[in-house]
Amino acid sequence: MGSNERKQKKVKPKKKSKLELSENEEMINPVEEETEKSIPSIKKKRKRDKGNTVDVKMQDHSVKEIGGEKRYKTKKKIPKSGNASNYKFGQLGAEDEDGINKLNVGNSKKAKKKEKDHDALKNDEVLMEKSKEADQNEVYFISSGDDDSSKGMKKWLTEYHQSRPGLKVLQQRIDEFITAHEAKLEQERKEREALAAEGGWTVVVHHKGRKKTTDSESGTTVGSVAQAAVEDKLAKKKKKEVGLDFYRFQRREAQRNEIMMLQSKFEQDRKRIQQLRAARKFRPY
Amino acid sequence: MEAETIISSTDSMDFKIKELLKEVHLDQTAIITKLVDDTFSAIKKVIRKIPDDLQVTADLAPDFVRDIGADKVDFKFRKPKSVKIGGSYSINCVVKPDVNVDLFVQLPKECFHEKDYLNHRYHAKRCLYLCVIKKHLKSSPSFDKVEWSVLQNEARKPVLVVHPAARPVEAPGIYVRIIPTAASLFSISKLNLNRNNVRAVNQDGVPQPTPKYNSGILEDMFLEDNAEFVNKTFSTWKELGEALMLLKVWARQRSSIYAHDCVNGYLLSILLSYLVSLDKINNSMKTMQILRIALDFIATSKLWNRGLYFPPQGQNKVSKEEKMHYKELFPVVICDPSTQVNLAFRMTSVGFSELQDEAALTLQCMDRCRDGGFEEMFLTKIDYAAKFDYCVRLNLKGCTEAHALGFCLDDECWRLYEQKVHSLLSQGLGDRVKFIRVTWRNTLSEYIIENGLSILDREPLLIGISLSTPEKVFRVVDIGPNAENKEEALRFRKFWGEKAELRRYKDGTIAESIVWESEQWTRHLVLKRIIEYVFQRHLSLPKENIVQIVDQLDFSLLHGAKDPVSFSGGLLEAFEVLSKRLRLIEDIPLRVSSVQPLDSAFRFTSVFPPEPHPLVNEKRNVTRLHKLTPSCIQPLEVMIQLEGSGNWPMDHVAIEKTKAAFLIQIGESLCNRWGMTCTATEDDVDVLMSGYSFRLKILHERGLSLVKGEIGNQAKQIYSTDRVLFVRGQHASMINGLQGRYPVYGPVVRLAKRWVASHLFSACLMEEAVELLVAYIFLKPLPFNVPSSRVTGFLRFLRLLAEYDWTFSPLVIDINNDFGPDDYKEINDNLMSSREAHEENTQNVSPVMFLATAYDKRSEAWTRNSPNSMELKRLVAYARSSANLLSKLISENQIDSYRWECLLRTPLNNYDAVVLLHRDRLPYPHRLLFPSEVNKGKHVVRGDASKAFHPFLLSGDLKGSSEELKNKLMVDFDPLRCFVGDLEKEFPKKLKLWYDSLGGDAVGLTWERGFSKKRNLEETLEEEEEDPTDVLKAVGEVGKGFVRNIYLLKAPRLTN
Repeated sequence: MGSNERKQKKVKPKKKSKLELSENEEMINPVEEETEKSIPSIKKKRKRDKGNTVDVKMQDHSVKEIGGEKRYKTKKKIPKSGNASNYKFGQLGAEDEDGINKLNVGNSKKAKKKEKDHDALKNDEVLMEKSKEADQNEVYFISSGDDDSSKGMKKWLTEYHQSRPGLKVLQQRIDEFITAHEAKLEQERKEREALAAEGGWTVVVHHKGRKKTTDSESGTTVGSVAQAAVEDKLAKKKKKEVGLDFYRFQRREAQRNEIMMLQSKFEQDRKRIQQLRAARKFRPY
Repeated sequence: MEAETIISSTDSMDFKIKELLKEVHLDQTAIITKLVDDTFSAIKKVIRKIPDDLQVTADLAPDFVRDIGADKVDFKFRKPKSVKIGGSYSINCVVKPDVNVDLFVQLPKECFHEKDYLNHRYHAKRCLYLCVIKKHLKSSPSFDKVEWSVLQNEARKPVLVVHPAARPVEAPGIYVRIIPTAASLFSISKLNLNRNNVRAVNQDGVPQPTPKYNSGILEDMFLEDNAEFVNKTFSTWKELGEALMLLKVWARQRSSIYAHDCVNGYLLSILLSYLVSLDKINNSMKTMQILRIALDFIATSKLWNRGLYFPPQGQNKVSKEEKMHYKELFPVVICDPSTQVNLAFRMTSVGFSELQDEAALTLQCMDRCRDGGFEEMFLTKIDYAAKFDYCVRLNLKGCTEAHALGFCLDDECWRLYEQKVHSLLSQGLGDRVKFIRVTWRNTLSEYIIENGLSILDREPLLIGISLSTPEKVFRVVDIGPNAENKEEALRFRKFWGEKAELRRYKDGTIAESIVWESEQWTRHLVLKRIIEYVFQRHLSLPKENIVQIVDQLDFSLLHGAKDPVSFSGGLLEAFEVLSKRLRLIEDIPLRVSSVQPLDSAFRFTSVFPPEPHPLVNEKRNVTRLHKLTPSCIQPLEVMIQLEGSGNWPMDHVAIEKTKAAFLIQIGESLCNRWGMTCTATEDDVDVLMSGYSFRLKILHERGLSLVKGEIGNQAKQIYSTDRVLFVRGQHASMINGLQGRYPVYGPVVRLAKRWVASHLFSACLMEEAVELLVAYIFLKPLPFNVPSSRVTGFLRFLRLLAEYDWTFSPLVIDINNDFGPDDYKEINDNLMSSREAHEENTQNVSPVMFLATAYDKRSEAWTRNSPNSMELKRLVAYARSSANLLSKLISENQIDSYRWECLLRTPLNNYDAVVLLHRDRLPYPHRLLFPSEVNKGKHVVRGDASKAFHPFLLSGDLKGSSEELKNKLMVDFDPLRCFVGDLEKEFPKKLKLWYDSLGGDAVGLTWERGFSKKRNLEETLEEEEEDPTDVLKAVGEVGKGFVRNIYLLKAPRLTN
């Protein structure tokens, strides 16, 4: 099994590079293949996790402990394996790391071919090389941030609580808004009126067409005719209209349209067949 | 020029058929014919070289001879009378991928005695004869491999499979089958169906007839004649041959009918010949017409009842008595032209009704499906896993009971066992099931016949069950015969053993009954218990050898040890109370006119319908709070409408504010009158009651028309709040209706949603879209029946996602069945116009997944923004691999639960970077399926967990008064959502986030293309910032107190 796995690993970088060439073409390794490899470690983890959920109530202490333990472990381990997270997974982890290194090499080689003198690329390579070395020291540590409410959990909590100041306050805010809003509307109305009344003249605007029954801004019905009534009327009116095939030219047009439609459908069918052929949708198995 | 020819066939079906045939038909090109001819002559040469009078004894295959129970098998080898090419190759109808050429080797009469039809002597000699040939073939260099196989899964009739050394590109797997024939070896009258030819078959010393055994020998005797007859019919008739090939493809896609007890290519060709002889098919017909007639004949013809007999030619007339006799002995009769053999002697009644069923379904597909049902007919794989609601595998390896009476009697032991299992199941399950199919394949690759038959039980026996209506399937009590009916009661007791008990029913009857007590949410397991019980009792199989596919995925829906769906009843009650109270409110200006549930929990499609929270329960007892009281509560959205009024403001912001004001008043009123708790933000108002939190939303109908007016202008992209609410309301009531029609719909949706989320697609596919996709498989089940189990439904969902032609076809979900052809046309036009708009740039098509419903014919509601084409590709790839895995898990021998978990365990190395979160800071930690770890890539960031938030109330918190406690409860607080939101704000267009909104602890990151593009534009300035490590550090900072680790797996690509 061991040798087999290694072979697979060797093939992998190649696959990856193919992947990279085809831009957005996402090829996903079969789910099972991937996960199967890590059976033992995950099983182990699951056990641990069960423990975790059971005594979550005492999180405060236990979490601290786990955290402390981890840090301790990782420090101790640096000279040994180099990668902290691999420690627990024993052999498997080591193998995996092997794979990654190869993968990285593949990556950077390919990159080299592409653009040799790119600045950032060097960065990239350095980065990858770094990962080979003991990078534990470079793992950036972020504190719990419990004293800093500008980011992270603390911020979210603060925001949550701030967003719920209580019904009274909210009501008040809305009232304020509505008052302000109404005042603004009033103001606008007054301004319009003032403009109209200026100098004792009323600006008369010529309205084209019939009197509008709906307000142009909001679409609501103004005046005495209800929207429903208008629609009703319109619906009735339509029936009286002359049929579309009254004039000869209409009929001709309709005919022509139909032919055009048929033609376009025909075109579509043809396209579809081409698509099908392109997609090779005829292979049954 | 080529385009012209395509156009000339107006019907695209003809074109597709043509293409399909090109794909599957083995063209007899010069290379192929040469290869076949060479192999043929090479085989002939080898056979010719075998010396005559070679003494053959049982020693060549002693175990085989022993197992079939033959005596006196020694003979002197003679060359075959003739060697001929036959079968589908001779009529040029070979269908890929199973490319084989049949070679008929006629056994010489000199090797057999007159009475060799007795006691399997013929079978033994037939096998030994092949052994001799095999031995000689093996030494020839023209053949790659010579293997054993069997004819129609009948172990006593082995054939040789010869793989030629040359492998042509057109048909790399081509092989030759050497099939012995026995023309005129025995007297036909001795093989009359009434005769006993296997002495071991007797009842108390009285020999019983052995019709199957006799038919098996007769089949060999007339094999060549019948092949000749088929040849005559098919030669120079192109359409008939094409129809045969299509039928073969059709049958092969359906593993439940392309089986030893149903049809095979040979029988199909006989069937077509029969239809020709009846003049049902004539020369003027097109291929598709012939196919249709054949399917129609299979599905509906009355002739099956009396058996199919070729019209008599001359003296060979079958008398009426003979016909009756055939009918008595065999469920299906297809008498060969010579009128001596029933060629369908292996067909069982179950297999035949399955065949009829499939043919009928296919005819439906032709009439009702898109494009004439081409895909459903030929391209859709209809295997056990997808077809049947319920699959069971029995591992019978080494189970001696199966062949306790001997391997081969009249029938073979495996066939008898199949029958036994079938009858046990039909008796045990009764009207709970519509259909039971039992097949046990015995053919092994690498099978060595010389070692006997005992190893043929390696493959598991496969059972497929179609379920009846849910009320019957989930029934808890089976009522048996009345106690007074002594005889039947006794039989009932004998079958059920100690499980049977006498019960008195309301109407006064006392009857034997069986009770399968179980809770509502475990009702789907009743069937499992019955099957297990029956098999353990009657087949004495250990539990671990019975693998039932039913509950393997349930783990992903459980909450602790219970399915949270069991709380739904309480939830609906609470909702009823709430809506009553809302309608009763009088101290607000406008009264509440309607209340409608929006959240998926109300329609049983939520993966985790909330558990009633002890803190907000009115009848609660503080001291009884259990230790793990969650500190968060999930709000459930409820939509209300108010009486109409003309006093609403006109602009958007003001409308929303007015709504908020109304809601706050409603909340206050509820607080004052009923003592409910209410908490609100500027946008949302949540009321807490009976353990649940309801989030109220107001739909203002005028708001709808407002936006409609604007659509013409620029506002097309923005869906107003009212519009969203309206659409959600429509969706909710539609799905609720559907859920009522199909009880299995809910669980399937829940599994599907869980799958989507656990592969970190929460951001790509909205829950409503999943509901619609699953709805489709219930509304348009063809070529299947409506699924009745969650696993089958889930598999079909995955296959739909993986196989649907998303690019060119809209998925029309017509829940109330009210679309006419005009609607379909409109939808198609919508799709076309949306596709055309992006013709030049196919990457940015939106919506890529076109889901059309009655309330949304333009697919704007759920899939307008996501998935995009890249996300869809990924989704499809994941779905395909999951579907393949699931099919394998169902039909192949896999028992351990780990592989099932893989369906929902996502590989984290498909991302450029992975953020792991603190599990104990997730709001609902118990929803986490699998804790994620990453052990590759570069560890970039490590973070501590915040102490400010805990998913459970700490013991210290529990002391305060109930009011204080309620204030500690957080409604709709979700750190993952906050984190994702902040990240999207912080790194727009730079990072793509993949997460599990149901409670995963990992977030996948991929670099967007903008990441590097931007870089090229502003080369020098952004240099510092673009270092991926730094970006990830910033990501970590954004998620302070929540992020546990960040790993960099792949730096962004720097080219283009």
